[in-house]
Amino acid sequence: MRSSLISRLIPKPSPGATPHDDDRSSLATGPDGWGGLMVAAQNGHGGAYQRLLSEISEWLRRYFQRRLPYGDVDDAVQETLLAVHRRRHTYDPRYPLGPWLAAIAKRKWVDQLRSLGRRPTEALSDDLSVGDHEMSVMSASVLGNLLDRLRPAQAQAITLVKLQGYSIEEASRETGLSVSAVKMNTHRGLARLAAFIEKTYAVE
Amino acid sequence: MQSSDALILQLSDGLAPVRRRRMLREAAFLLVLGTTEFALLLGLRLMRPDMGQMITSPYMLWKLGSLAMLAGIACTVAVRSFSPTARPRRGLIVACAFAAAAMISGMFVTPSSESGHALLNRLSPAHGALCMLSIIVLSIPMMAMLAILMRNAAPTQPGMSAVAAGVSASTCAALIFAFCCPINDPLYVIVWYSAGCAVVVAAARWLLPRCFYL
Repeated sequence: MRSSLISRLIPKPSPGATPHDDDRSSLATGPDGWGGLMVAAQNGHGGAYQRLLSEISEWLRRYFQRRLPYGDVDDAVQETLLAVHRRRHTYDPRYPLGPWLAAIAKRKWVDQLRSLGRRPTEALSDDLSVGDHEMSVMSASVLGNLLDRLRPAQAQAITLVKLQGYSIEEASRETGLSVSAVKMNTHRGLARLAAFIEKTYAVE
Repeated sequence: MQSSDALILQLSDGLAPVRRRRMLREAAFLLVLGTTEFALLLGLRLMRPDMGQMITSPYMLWKLGSLAMLAGIACTVAVRSFSPTARPRRGLIVACAFAAAAMISGMFVTPSSESGHALLNRLSPAHGALCMLSIIVLSIPMMAMLAILMRNAAPTQPGMSAVAAGVSASTCAALIFAFCCPINDPLYVIVWYSAGCAVVVAAARWLLPRCFYL
């Protein structure tokens, strides 16, 4: 009797229909319609089940986002969906689906909290703090401004050879230029930087 | 890990119909199992020989009536607790209250021939240990059945459900064993039957949640 009513409410998909065509039924969306969708799913209706799982996964996501760290939300949602799938035969159609789902979600939340508690953590040492990097940051900023005044090939040669510690040969391989070109770019770039700095100091 | 959408597609693809869980069917399984155990005991001629005369005595009515009521309450609580939305705590409190009331009422049905004996004689430890062991052994099939029912259901408080299962398995076993037990002393019943039930409940509380994953 009940299954025939559900079959009338949710007609079987026609062969050419898209997966969601059959879900445009008179069943209301949201928690009030979930019970009907679950009854259809218990009777083997895949379309109704897909729609139900999609809707409850959104609800579950909101539920777990308020209760778990961000990185664990997806795991909890999927664990709950699997539990709903495994235990769908325990849903009693005489009652609304909401409390049934909420009870399973709460259980999964508790399981997730327990697994969070078991996860190994490392205590932070007291001497974790490091000296401030203000000078390094300032130097990097000033150097960046100075290198911007050079031609790109000169800036790259100086960066590789003088800042990153490449040898002339390694820098040559890295840039695709000849060894003499790298040497020349480095030399001219440094000379240009020196001239710019002298000029700036002289003005100030 | 795959996305939730892929999981939903995978779960809904080729969905087969399921047979809904029915509590009455599960209760019927338990009843059939209990009856089978009882019939087996009768078949082995283990029932006390004077049961025909004793069945109308206040002591026997108290013992069988209390255990039957307690087994009924505990089985109902256990089967109901396997539902995700069930909260077995209240049912267990009712069962405990009923057990306490039954123990207190046992004082009024003590046969006068027993009340004059020394405490150690009334408890009869050697025989009592045997009774306790019998209750534990008789509860194993019922416990196995309840474990299967619990695995197939979805209790969201597995610890409490396990306690309810332990109480129902042990009280059913005690009820069956009560037909064989030759001792006519409520104190003996309270001490040794309670000890047997406590062992079964503790084992259920420890074991059943480990066999179960929601």
